[in-house]
Amino acid sequence: MMDCKNLREILDLYVDGELSPEATVQAEAHLTECNACRRAADGLQGLRQAVKAAVSQYQPAPQLANRVRKSTLSPWYRRPTWALAVAAAALLIVTLAVSAPQFRGAVANSLEAAAFHLDDSRAVVMEGLLLCRDCELKKEYGYRAMCPLKGHHGTLQTKDGKIWNILDGDASEDLIHNSALLGRTVRIHGRCFRRASSIEVDSYEVL
Amino acid sequence: MFFGQTPRGKHFERNALPHLPAVYRTARQLVGVESADDLVQETFLRAWKYFETFDPTTNCRAWLFRILRNVWISRWRKSRLELPLVDTGDEQIEPYYDWEGEFLREELSAGVERALSELPADYRLAILLADVEDCTYEEIARIMECPIGTVMSRLNRGRRMLARLMQVYRDAKPSKSQPREFARRKP
Repeated sequence: MMDCKNLREILDLYVDGELSPEATVQAEAHLTECNACRRAADGLQGLRQAVKAAVSQYQPAPQLANRVRKSTLSPWYRRPTWALAVAAAALLIVTLAVSAPQFRGAVANSLEAAAFHLDDSRAVVMEGLLLCRDCELKKEYGYRAMCPLKGHHGTLQTKDGKIWNILDGDASEDLIHNSALLGRTVRIHGRCFRRASSIEVDSYEVL
Repeated sequence: MFFGQTPRGKHFERNALPHLPAVYRTARQLVGVESADDLVQETFLRAWKYFETFDPTTNCRAWLFRILRNVWISRWRKSRLELPLVDTGDEQIEPYYDWEGEFLREELSAGVERALSELPADYRLAILLADVEDCTYEEIARIMECPIGTVMSRLNRGRRMLARLMQVYRDAKPSKSQPREFARRKP
């Protein structure tokens, strides 16, 4: 038979439903006979209910559920943190590309390398201005051009400012060595070697 | 529902997200209303990250509470100073608390939150899990990573401490105590 001392020792387990069925039967038998222990059990049960009522009154805001869903279930690229990270990285690249010459060069080379892979040695039609390569290099970089002694060397400048070497060949003889064509706009049919910035001429027309 | 949701996402939505209210109310009692949302979000982020490790045959709510406790300890609790608990098991049981005393016949809801916020954090969490979330001692032991004897000791001592605190507050303000938000203890 359970006495008051035994019951008080297992009072928490009793109200928490953690006693074995046999112990529960014994505890309830004691509680029906002992008013003091009955009040103690009711008091502890009352405290449990008060805690539950006080804490359960709070519900999360609907925005919290949305935040949690967005941060877990939505694809990574739609999450605000990822979008911010991607935007920040893009901004950093643009800033560096604009401000740092070395980085700008690296980006340009990367783009150029990508272009090689995308468009390597294809048949093309290129249009541009026929200029003397050495004179342009002199103008741009101070290169000591030997044109007065050796004559001009024709080259093609496309609209993007890029200078293309014209490879020697039967069809390109005049384009390279005929100074009378310098300053004229020409359209060249041929093959382009981007990595070498060179054009092989099949035919051309002066526009 | 989100476009392109994966089976893992559906599983997470079906099993984990329904427990958000329970995680929130517990988080709120641990860190206060100001930080509860952040604690909940971080808990679910971590749950999502490690969702493959969750055994679907076990209790997802208990798994989430365990993550909640770990996040709380690593991110919030270490920033507060608290007296260490003495968890030595059965000798901490205090069987003779006067539960049938006068104050328990009064209105109990007033002052509960304030008294809860004053409890040592491990006592508070054990009480929240047992009394609000109806977790078994075994579940609480797994969540709090301690033996069942320690759970019993924390509940026993925590409830008695809670009752005494409520009595102190009620004696100080016999008729005007109202439920309100109480600031967490400062370090």
